[in-house]
Amino acid sequence: MSTIMPSARQRSLRIWAFWAVPALLLLLPLATNAYTQFIVNGMLISVLVTLGFTLVIGNLGQLAFANTAFFGIGAYASAMLTAKFGLPWIVTIPLAGALGALGGFLASAAALRGIRSYYLAIITLAFGELMRWAYLHTKPLTGGTDGLPLPREVVFGISLSDDTLKFYIFLGVTVVLVKATLNLMRSRFGRSVMAVRENEVATASLAIPTARVILVTFIWSGFVVGCAGALFARHVGHVFPESFGMLHLIASFAMVLVGGLGSVLGAVLGAVLLTALPEYLRAFPGMEELFFGLIVAAVLVAMPMGLASLLRRLSPIFVERYYREES
Amino acid sequence: MTDLLTIEGLSVRFSGLTALDDVSFTLEEGAVRAVIGPNGAGKSTLFNAISGYVTPTSGTVHLYGRELTRLTPHAIAEQGVRRTFQNGGLFPALTVLENVLTGLHAQTEGSFLDILLGRSKALKSEAENIHRARELLKLMSMDHMADTRAGDLSGGQQRIVEIVRTVASDPPVLLLDEPAVGLSPVARAQMMDIIHRLAGEKGVGILLIEHAVELVMAAADRILVMAAGARIAEGTPEEIREDRAVLEAYLGHS
Ligand SMILES: Nc1ncnc2c1ncn2[C@@H]1O[C@H](COP(=O)(O)OP(=O)(O)OP(=O)(O)O)[C@@H](O)[C@H]1O
Ligand SMILES: [Mg+2]
Repeated sequence: MSTIMPSARQRSLRIWAFWAVPALLLLLPLATNAYTQFIVNGMLISVLVTLGFTLVIGNLGQLAFANTAFFGIGAYASAMLTAKFGLPWIVTIPLAGALGALGGFLASAAALRGIRSYYLAIITLAFGELMRWAYLHTKPLTGGTDGLPLPREVVFGISLSDDTLKFYIFLGVTVVLVKATLNLMRSRFGRSVMAVRENEVATASLAIPTARVILVTFIWSGFVVGCAGALFARHVGHVFPESFGMLHLIASFAMVLVGGLGSVLGAVLGAVLLTALPEYLRAFPGMEELFFGLIVAAVLVAMPMGLASLLRRLSPIFVERYYREES
Repeated sequence: MTDLLTIEGLSVRFSGLTALDDVSFTLEEGAVRAVIGPNGAGKSTLFNAISGYVTPTSGTVHLYGRELTRLTPHAIAEQGVRRTFQNGGLFPALTVLENVLTGLHAQTEGSFLDILLGRSKALKSEAENIHRARELLKLMSMDHMADTRAGDLSGGQQRIVEIVRTVASDPPVLLLDEPAVGLSPVARAQMMDIIHRLAGEKGVGILLIEHAVELVMAAADRILVMAAGARIAEGTPEEIREDRAVLEAYLGHS
């Protein structure tokens, strides 16, 4: 089966489609109230969390579940650096990313020592639980069970508790990280990541340093999710250990699968849909979890390749390519 | 002719089993050297030892006089010894074009940061490689399949794409592990033609593992016959045809 070659027109359409989304989103605060704006801000965070997760389990094909750990590390780093060290929150975003990247480095060390598959799954899950234990038992730094509140801050004369201001900052960070990730995936790096997943032995025969590909993928994933953690710290204003447990991991995993494993577009779709869904399900008190589970299951049965596969069938501009012809 | 690859006393032992036993030979520019022998003779092990996938217990491998022994597989590939795999090494989920591009990884310029930021240095090099990959596919009449998933190709097409990917970086040495296995007679002839052209026109030195004796006799300049890890004969196709040891050990009496 041969697919249609992407024409120059399709390529420019794809670029337009990409930039039209954030451009339209700039107007979104006109259409939201305080409550819906808060939900939308959470969606942007979920997009980054899902993106980092899908890179490792979808594109690289490694069964690593340290994603929530990276998220917690980023959130606590940001909260501690603002609350204890007096740094402006905005500065803590890249720092939280760097610490998330360090978490990614540690997780990749396990994979590179030959711990793979179910063994990697269990060791990365343990890493996540260990981090949660650390938040609980280092009370002077993290506040323990009481959590850690972020101090009030004012930027551009607006309080950082303002959800519209947060939205623009979150949107900026999300667009930059999604675009950078797309640049990576549509390059020799993205091809190498996929190649390692498909056939690691053959990948090395092409002069591709497979260990470095694994290392860098984990580090980038940790960076993206660590940055998301910093956004989350400001989003909720007060970080607690419970935010970084199994529930968060399972929800992120569902977002990855509903969107489509190993798809940047899918990460966005899955995160947006599954962040919005619980809000609609509030109309059915007591049945929310049941309906949520049923809807996720139904989507996966109908579309095992996720929502992204639906869009791919609609138009070739949504087909994910691991090279880039335009410049 | 220039010597490309020099193998000296190469041996591989797997806990008790001697899979490769003191094998030596040289491969010259533009030469096609076939490696034949019964199943389990150690042919693939020879390739694995040369390309860094198994560590030889003793012996050395040199390319242009530079030692390759004990380098990692990706370093050996970067030095210019490229191989295919007996069971096929394509990436099924990637397209044909993307598969060929992976063969040009080391030829692509731009650091991680250049790629991340979409700098023109990385994009320009990428565009050049895409152009080159398309040209190579056209040479093999596979350009119309460029955007097809490699996993959706026929077995024969997959073998051809794997060769295109392996030679994309213009390596001086090529190790082909049963490239014609499972191909129709027509596709086999096409494969042998490709091998001839690579050796004849580009001067690639080729090591070829192949079970079909008629093909080997027609395609190879020299033949190395192996059994139980060791070399039992070596020579031109004519010499091998007359060799008693080969007749007994491998070809059978006919
Ligand atoms: N990694 C390994 N560990 C242990 N034994 C191995 C390993 N690789 C190969 N062998 C053994 O070495 C011997 C030679 O195997 P090899 O794959 O080199 O044979 P071959 O000549 O390529 O055979 P075929 O024609 O069937 O492909 C076999 O007995 C095989 O079981
Ligand atoms: Mg073999």
